[in-house]
Amino acid sequence: MPLSQALHLTSMLLASASFIGLTLGAGLPEWLAVLTGATLIAVLLRNMGLTSVDHITTQMPVSSIGWNLIVLGGFVGFWIDLLWVSGELLPAGLHFLMILMIIKLFNLRLRRDYLHLYAISLVAMLASGSLTTELWFFPIFAVYLVAGVWTLLLFQLTKTAEASGDAWMPAPARLRQESYQGNDRISPRIFWMANGLAFGAFLFTVAIFFTIPRVNAGIYQKGFGENIRTTGFSDKVNLGAIGSIKHDPSVVMRVELLGTPRQAARPLYIRGVSFDRYDGKVWTNQLSYRRSFIEESPGTFGFRGKRGVVRSDSGDAIRQKILLEPLDTPVLFAAPFIERVTGAFPSLFFDPAGAVYLPFPSSSRIEYTVVSRSNTLASADLGTGPGHYPDWVVRHYLQLPGQSHRINALAGDLTQGRHTPYEQAAAIQTYLTQNYRYSLDAPLAAQDQPLEEFLFVRKTGYCEHYATAMVIMLRTVGIPARLVTGFLATEWNDYGSYYVVRQQDAHAWVEVYLPHSGWMSMDPTPAEDNRGSGGKVWQVFGPIMDNIRLQWNRLFVQYSAADQLAVVRELKAEGMSVRNKALDTVTALFGTFLAVMGGIVTHDVSQIRIGLLGEIVGFVLAGFAVLFWLGWGRLREGWSLWKTDDGSELAITQLYRRMRTYLSGQGFSRSAAIAPLELVEITRTGWREAHTAVAAITELYCRTRFGHRPLTQEDVRHAEDQLRRLLELRKPRV
Amino acid sequence: MPFQLPSFAHRVFRYRSTRITSEGLQFLIFALAIGIAAINTGNNLFYLLLAMMLSLILISGIAAEYCLRRLEVRRHIPDLLFLNSPVTIVLAVKNRKSRLPSFSLALCDVGEGQAVFPQVDIHALPPGVSRLLSYQLIPTRRGRLHLSGVRLSTEFPFGLFTKRAFYPMDDVVVVCPELRPVSERLLQGLFAAGYEQAVHRRGHGSELYNLRLYQAGDDSRSIHWLTTARTSQLTIRETEAEEQRRAIIHLSTSVPASHDTMFERAVSLAASLVQHLARHGYSIQLRVGSERSSFGQGDAHGLELLRMLALCQRSDPTAESMQQDEWPDGHAEIEGGGTVVAVQAWCGAGACELPRVLIDGELIPGAAYAT
Repeated sequence: MPLSQALHLTSMLLASASFIGLTLGAGLPEWLAVLTGATLIAVLLRNMGLTSVDHITTQMPVSSIGWNLIVLGGFVGFWIDLLWVSGELLPAGLHFLMILMIIKLFNLRLRRDYLHLYAISLVAMLASGSLTTELWFFPIFAVYLVAGVWTLLLFQLTKTAEASGDAWMPAPARLRQESYQGNDRISPRIFWMANGLAFGAFLFTVAIFFTIPRVNAGIYQKGFGENIRTTGFSDKVNLGAIGSIKHDPSVVMRVELLGTPRQAARPLYIRGVSFDRYDGKVWTNQLSYRRSFIEESPGTFGFRGKRGVVRSDSGDAIRQKILLEPLDTPVLFAAPFIERVTGAFPSLFFDPAGAVYLPFPSSSRIEYTVVSRSNTLASADLGTGPGHYPDWVVRHYLQLPGQSHRINALAGDLTQGRHTPYEQAAAIQTYLTQNYRYSLDAPLAAQDQPLEEFLFVRKTGYCEHYATAMVIMLRTVGIPARLVTGFLATEWNDYGSYYVVRQQDAHAWVEVYLPHSGWMSMDPTPAEDNRGSGGKVWQVFGPIMDNIRLQWNRLFVQYSAADQLAVVRELKAEGMSVRNKALDTVTALFGTFLAVMGGIVTHDVSQIRIGLLGEIVGFVLAGFAVLFWLGWGRLREGWSLWKTDDGSELAITQLYRRMRTYLSGQGFSRSAAIAPLELVEITRTGWREAHTAVAAITELYCRTRFGHRPLTQEDVRHAEDQLRRLLELRKPRV
Repeated sequence: MPFQLPSFAHRVFRYRSTRITSEGLQFLIFALAIGIAAINTGNNLFYLLLAMMLSLILISGIAAEYCLRRLEVRRHIPDLLFLNSPVTIVLAVKNRKSRLPSFSLALCDVGEGQAVFPQVDIHALPPGVSRLLSYQLIPTRRGRLHLSGVRLSTEFPFGLFTKRAFYPMDDVVVVCPELRPVSERLLQGLFAAGYEQAVHRRGHGSELYNLRLYQAGDDSRSIHWLTTARTSQLTIRETEAEEQRRAIIHLSTSVPASHDTMFERAVSLAASLVQHLARHGYSIQLRVGSERSSFGQGDAHGLELLRMLALCQRSDPTAESMQQDEWPDGHAEIEGGGTVVAVQAWCGAGACELPRVLIDGELIPGAAYAT
């Protein structure tokens, strides 16, 4: 393929990559996306030499003034779009950008037109990057990078044609004409070189991306797109509100358990907020006043000194790394109960019920690490009778919406014969899980008494109904309890070893206060019969894709200055470790050596000196390595020179000897003492026909032998030709 | 012992330079804009695009360096050049790299004071291959032409930067004065003046000069058959040349600075005369100011005289220089005789449009170049 045609092709690819990126990111209007796509295809077909398309395009000649007028029309259209159609600058600007791309695609005549197209495509990629953080951006970017390297390379290689004065116009007709010449085509060498450069550029891009300092000094920092709408995490929640999101598969967070073996990855409760007051239809959080966390160290917030608020000191600690999508709630989710939070937060707040809040809902993904510790059941709560509840617990967590005889009777029946609060709670939980059926088709919100409807009529519902029923029944029998909303993480990603938490995992459960154990989580909701499942293919590739998406977010989208510092610290620690190991090795080696030498120094002194010696040797070795590196190029060059000289010198010396032997046979140069140039002079006077060949071979021989200048392959071939010619000559007899 | 940089540092810092192209400038402006946008927004995808652009710049530098590395350049230039006469200079460049080709190379000779000569381009130079390139040079100044080296430059791979490498390669060649046809009037004057000055020498003519034995390569028509028959040995008859002339060309160098152009014309005229007379078998002596050559003839002597003229310098007229510069008055003063041709660029107070030529003291009016 001729270079100019290849340039045209790669330019189209470059424009296509940016167009696809912009279309996916910005959601261009259909008509504009179709128009731009059709233009790209048409121009591409024209480039491939499709005569019909070529004929159509040549039938509509537009002068440069005409194109300028079209651009002007597009600009007017931009203003109309800005003022009346889109009403916003960004969409109108993007639409204008695509119009410019279409115009430029039809008007690719001069090199500067190509430059304009590249500039437009770069702006389109920039716009795409500003409008999305999705994973698809990466392959688009990779294609753009490869196409960009190819395009710039071909643009440079075809520059000579323009410089030589030819009208540089890679229109198809001209391209075909050029192709007949057979020159300047994509050779395998250019092909591999371009791909090699693209690969190198990709590696450098990744390296620079991770090392370039992140300076968050901007004034236009903002998130991307709209936050995910959640429900159930405000201070006031209608019964049944969670049901509306139970069909939404949107990922809201990913939770990685740090230091927890894979076997322990069982369903994980992720706590959001709790509610203490129920009025029969609506749950409210009366303890919603918030206090700020104590920042123990930069970025680390803890509950230090607030044991009274959240008692969580008996269970095992769970460390979680959570990547939270932008949600419309400021609640910070984690396994119960949060002890310490680490993340890039300006400040954090908590309420008396243990919920943790951001200052405001985050508009972008946030990543944080949490240490949680759940309570374990104290043996005292199993053996003894009813214990003592703190006043603040009694005050807030025994509230009932009103007397319901049926519920009272049911609760009494269920707890009859149970002596401890834990046994009573467990009895209620067992009753609910075994006698009721899970269903999202439970329109109980419209009922006057939805709880009674659930317990005694329908006997089907979802988590909120079960949790509410259990809390009310527990309170009825005098056990403090509260309703908790959050997520129940069950989707474990084997490839990335983390939980994927979706909107449909939103859940409500119960926290029961036991006199000796504190708050204990209990879940009365029975297992769901048919949790949503995709196709088999998706079941295989879904986790892989999600893991890639997570890594993309972690490594590229969320990469920050803090990550860079962490990498530096880790490298420093690794360096120290390697240095110590090397030092130990050198010390051991020299220690053995010194021991063999007879223990010249005492043990204590040798320890110190050997350490010092090890460092010195290390420095010397490093110095040698640097010197070797600096001199390597020269050494290699010298070796190569020697090698080359040796080859060419050997060849020309053999040719010269053959020449002398032949001349000697013809009566010349019988004496070995005759110098090369003397021999040339002798042949010039004595055998004119042979003179040219003798002079040529001798000149090359002298140049290599005495001038130490290597011969090229052409030189050696020339000498061989001359010798052949000489051997065909016969000296005339006088 | 003075400190010497290692070879690689010497190569990088002394013989390398980089210039940005117009496309490169636009590229850098875009990169700067994206950098500002990345800092402003903290958007990592902007940082990714910025990293891509920076990596292309980095790759540009590395690839261009590899392109210019391990090239061997040689120059072939004639020993003698003539003013305003085109000459072909040949540059041989060889890629001594074992694997990597070099692309988009531009070579040009660099003269004294970084003057640059016409550029020749190579599209691609595979590893181990050498190419011969030539360009036409028209010297515009008489004297020594100093070529200090060859400059290789490349815009490879992306055309964003022009990387240059300088290969030092000193060559000094002499540019002789311009040679032009001599006017008919001057030729007639020379012919008239030199007619009486023939000396005996072998050459083409009708008078007998000598008889000698036949040697291989002699013209068989020159065999003297009578003597051959008498002596039974092939004998050749040598004839005496028709004429043998001697000429002294005197170029006055005491010329004021205002007549510099005229001096150059005079030098050119003197060179043209030297060439003409040498071609016609004259034994020539050249006197340039106080310098003088020996009498001689043949191509080698002619070239020596041209070299002398190429390097002569004008001097401001002083009493001493005028005395030294005084031309001999007629051939009688010259030992062995000969025509004295004086070429003057300056004739005192009077202004002349063309150099004056005096043959044996007589002014030849309008004697300069053929029209």
